[in-house]
Amino acid sequence: MSDADLPSAGVVRTLLRIGAPPWRRLALAALLGVLGALATVGLLAGSGYVVDRAAFRPGLGAIAGVLAAVEVLAFLRGPLRYGERLVAHDAAFRSLARWRVWLYDRLEPLAPAGLRGWRSGDLLARVTDDVDVLQDLYLRCLLPVGVTVAAATVAVTLVAVVLPLAGAVLAASLVVALVSAPAVAVVTGTSRGREAELRGRLAAEVVDLLQAAPELLAFGREDAALAAVEATDGELTAISRRRAWATGASAAIVTVCLGAGVTAVLALGVAAVRSHDMGTAMLAVLPLAAVGAFETVPAVAVAAVRASDVVAAGRRLLELASIPVPVIDPERPAAVPEGFLDIAVRGARLRYGPELPWALDGMDLDVEQGGRVGLVGASGAGKSSLVHALLRFWPLQGGSASLGGIALDAFAQGDVRRAVALVDQEAHVFAGTIRQNVALGRPKASDAELADALSRAQLSDWVASLPDGMDTQVGEDGAQVSGGQRRRLALARALLVDAPVLVLDEPTAGLDKESGARLVANVVDDARARGTSVVLVTHRTEDLEPLDRVVVMDNGRVAREDTGLAVSEVAGSAGTAGPAQVTGSTGTAGSTGSPSRSVPEGSPAARAGGPSGRH
Amino acid sequence: MSTTAVERRRGGLIDRRLAARVSATRRYLLTAVGVGLASTVCVVAQAVLLASVISAVLLHDASLGDVAPRLAGLAAAFVARASLSWAGEAAAQRTGTSVASALRRQLLRHALDLGPVWLGGERAGELSLAATRGTTALTAYFGRYLPQAVLAAIAPVGILAWVASQDWPSFLILFALAALVPVAMVYFGRESAARTRRQWRRLASLSARFLDMLRGLPTLRAFGREAHGRREVAEATDGLRRTTLSTLRVAFVSALALEFIAGIGTGLVAMVLGLRLLGGHVSLYTALAVLLVSPEVFLPLRRAAAEFHASTEGQAAADRILSVLDVEGTPPPEQPGGAGQNAPPPHFFGADPTPRAPGRHAVLRAEDVTVAFPGRGAPALKGLSLEVDRGEHVALVGPSGSGKSTTIGLFLGFVHPTVGRVVVGGDDLSTLDAAAWRRRLAWVPQRPHLLHGSIEDNLRIANPDATAAQLARAIAMAGLSHIVDGLPHGLATPVGEGGLSLSAGERQRIALARAVIRDAPVVLLDEPVAHLDAHTEAALRDTFGPWLESRTVLVAAHRPELVARLDRVVRLGTAALVDADFGHEDGSGGGVDGALGAEGRRQ
Repeated sequence: MSDADLPSAGVVRTLLRIGAPPWRRLALAALLGVLGALATVGLLAGSGYVVDRAAFRPGLGAIAGVLAAVEVLAFLRGPLRYGERLVAHDAAFRSLARWRVWLYDRLEPLAPAGLRGWRSGDLLARVTDDVDVLQDLYLRCLLPVGVTVAAATVAVTLVAVVLPLAGAVLAASLVVALVSAPAVAVVTGTSRGREAELRGRLAAEVVDLLQAAPELLAFGREDAALAAVEATDGELTAISRRRAWATGASAAIVTVCLGAGVTAVLALGVAAVRSHDMGTAMLAVLPLAAVGAFETVPAVAVAAVRASDVVAAGRRLLELASIPVPVIDPERPAAVPEGFLDIAVRGARLRYGPELPWALDGMDLDVEQGGRVGLVGASGAGKSSLVHALLRFWPLQGGSASLGGIALDAFAQGDVRRAVALVDQEAHVFAGTIRQNVALGRPKASDAELADALSRAQLSDWVASLPDGMDTQVGEDGAQVSGGQRRRLALARALLVDAPVLVLDEPTAGLDKESGARLVANVVDDARARGTSVVLVTHRTEDLEPLDRVVVMDNGRVAREDTGLAVSEVAGSAGTAGPAQVTGSTGTAGSTGSPSRSVPEGSPAARAGGPSGRH
Repeated sequence: MSTTAVERRRGGLIDRRLAARVSATRRYLLTAVGVGLASTVCVVAQAVLLASVISAVLLHDASLGDVAPRLAGLAAAFVARASLSWAGEAAAQRTGTSVASALRRQLLRHALDLGPVWLGGERAGELSLAATRGTTALTAYFGRYLPQAVLAAIAPVGILAWVASQDWPSFLILFALAALVPVAMVYFGRESAARTRRQWRRLASLSARFLDMLRGLPTLRAFGREAHGRREVAEATDGLRRTTLSTLRVAFVSALALEFIAGIGTGLVAMVLGLRLLGGHVSLYTALAVLLVSPEVFLPLRRAAAEFHASTEGQAAADRILSVLDVEGTPPPEQPGGAGQNAPPPHFFGADPTPRAPGRHAVLRAEDVTVAFPGRGAPALKGLSLEVDRGEHVALVGPSGSGKSTTIGLFLGFVHPTVGRVVVGGDDLSTLDAAAWRRRLAWVPQRPHLLHGSIEDNLRIANPDATAAQLARAIAMAGLSHIVDGLPHGLATPVGEGGLSLSAGERQRIALARAVIRDAPVVLLDEPVAHLDAHTEAALRDTFGPWLESRTVLVAAHRPELVARLDRVVRLGTAALVDADFGHEDGSGGGVDGALGAEGRRQ
């Protein structure tokens, strides 16, 4: 059974396990809470006793002791409550931090392929709102219930000692309040799941609206998008109004029970005084003790509502955690060999779900150390899936892939990714500085090394032109830099890793074609000098010129592979292109006037500049 | 001096601009206050009835039967209080949600009005947090704190007046202590508000950092830097714990001070009454009634303080929201009579056959335009002069960063010239209603954003009334038919936020299909085929050629492959954020000149 299907108690247990509550702090908070509640009961009952007793003018000595006690309780009540709150919140926030990091840890192995289909706005809502709701598990559920039950028990006992029947009546009214108020709040309150779902939807719609603002404005659809947000908002408002109604109803029940308890206890007291079963001094004590006993009861009605919130939020978080992790590291990962890291893929098959078509279907690929291979093919031919497989983002369901002669799945994912550096098609640029973004490739890199990587990605002049240089902020998702600069930042990051294998997935998208081709040529020359293998996924003929070999993919496998031909000619036949297109493309390539370079992979020249040159 | 008055003068605790927004919901607010007052009357009635029953039984030997009507009255007072609190809760919720929804609407509307350039500099995560959680937090402020603050100013005065009518010494004690409460509230409130604002900023930064880490998870993993993201999250969340706790400590200390004041008040009143009862200076009835009522003097004040602290998150969020609402957009053009509302004259874009002298009636014209973004070194565009006549196909070429997208943004009305003028159809764009102008535009952005929804939803944003045939034609023209046909749900297939399940090339083709569905006379293309392979590109050129033929086209691309017939090519040089490496090949050192740099390629 997955965590998401757990019953409520199971959800709470799982949450407690993850949050590792600081039990000692919680126990201390509970103790302080009970003492605070009892101080209230004592203050009320004691002052009632003082006034009642004094009315018969017994002399100061008779009331002095109780009077002093009342004053002490009046002073103590505040500090006790203060201590309780501080300790309880501290405990809750400690767990909160654990829950957040736990969530990150759960999401991390799922990216990128496992999180397809999740909206980042929804995830944001989960991590901020849902996790925050969890703190109420202590603050508004466990503690108030514990404190109320303990304090009410003591108050009832006190009243029962004075007048047993009154104690019984007070106990009955308390039980009715403690059971019916939460029940009413929970039963009449609307579905928490629906509300949480709507909150997630609202957050996602708002993120969508803000991120797609340019398109919405250009197409004059901003009003429609706003209307959608408002519709969701309207539904949420209706729900919170129903909830307020239910909360109000449950608070009203508590007040009615309090009234019944106080009135009944007073009536019993009057009867007892008349029949001389009870001393006159106790008549005022009884109703006031009853008032004190009820003081924390409203918190229990709230606790019931919050408990269902906590469970709903917890279930949503556990649901995220139950997404299967696509790739798990072997228990004893093999070491990535030093030296030649030849890539060999044989009959590889891969798909992202049992109902989905094969993204790779019998793919073969060989890249010897120092080799420079282009991968081309129409959209959906499986190029990016091959990249996912090579970086161990997604496992192969058939066939094999090896690195340096050792099966890929024998390595830890982190080790593979240190050996195979990726410039992703969707490479993310983090909010922060240029330096922070590039240093992600190798955090300990010196300034000189960073500058070198920027220079190899042809960014030095741009960076030099900025007032803040490498410390320039790039904006959220790189919003402050151009498309080409984004790509090169991603490239600089990958070059900084200095890995034996460099995988470039559409590195030139967003660059004009000459710039792109020049960038690729520079990177490939650089790789040649260092003996780095290059796998370049592209759709641009120009980019392929400096490569040794081009593999044309179609339907998840190799459609054609050429080493001796002019690579641009091969690229022209990508996908379903017929002879006419091949001719046309050749013409295009010819017009750019660059002869193709065909250095046979594994040639002595390539080998000589191999790993030995790198180290 | 009422609590609210004190706070209003400070301008911090009750923000004038926020309070002004309650006007729409004043009725509910008054209901909430009325309910609170009625409830206070019930409390006094309870105390009086309880005291009179005890006094009658103890001193006047009354029997249970004698006091039965008063006991019934006591029970009735409790029931009345219960009903009132129920009504109050509903009214409070109504006030809060109405105002929160209105603010959210205003915030989003304003963010859209400020436009894509401004949004590009904002963190979407932070802004969306303000629009969702922030406005929700304001519910507490408007629904609970505000009515309670007003009640706290009225109810204690009423109760104190009653106490004064019963027993002067008790009144003096209670009055002296109650007068301390607003002082304590203001002192602690100020402390807490400043801290909470800091905390809100941290919460916002945590949220932005988390969203950033989440989006970048594939990249973090590709570089084996998952631990870095984990550390970022852990650091942010730990900082949040400490900031929140220190904020709460202030709130708790303030609650402590108020409980102290209330406790001492009740304790002192009990002591003084007890001593005076001993001396026979006060009746048991009066003593009991005053004793029972005395905590109620402090209760509305304590509740207001508690609600104030509970709503400080909302107030901090309000700061953020109001600061966005205060950002001014482009200054309205100085033009008498309906400035900014003029629609461009339709005849410039329709099939008006009247020949016009070139230049004077250009559809798109930039006059010596310079665009500088604050904090971005060199200007993004410098001295651009450009003209596109009706039906003309013009390409903007130049290295990346030379200002091609900025130019497209100028004509979309997203980017405003720092210097110079943008003229569309003979009118200054800044004097036109941008929305009306954009109805004549079809735009293919460089990085199209896909909304959460189906492929069809994403196509229909270009024209909600498009027929199935129009959609099918656009899909076919963009070369998406075989992809859509291969999907289990066809056009109804959902695409994720940011188009997670579609490649960059497929997204670009969706954007092209959008443009076709838009069917507008002016077409702006920003690197429309950057992500497409040569084969697809060639196919698109064939299908788009006839479609573009009758339209005015401005295409930004290094080599504008998509546009088969090009009348002119305008070369942009290095302006800003450009690699000098590429600048030399264009032979221009920062200047842009549409006229001189144009290569006559008229066919």
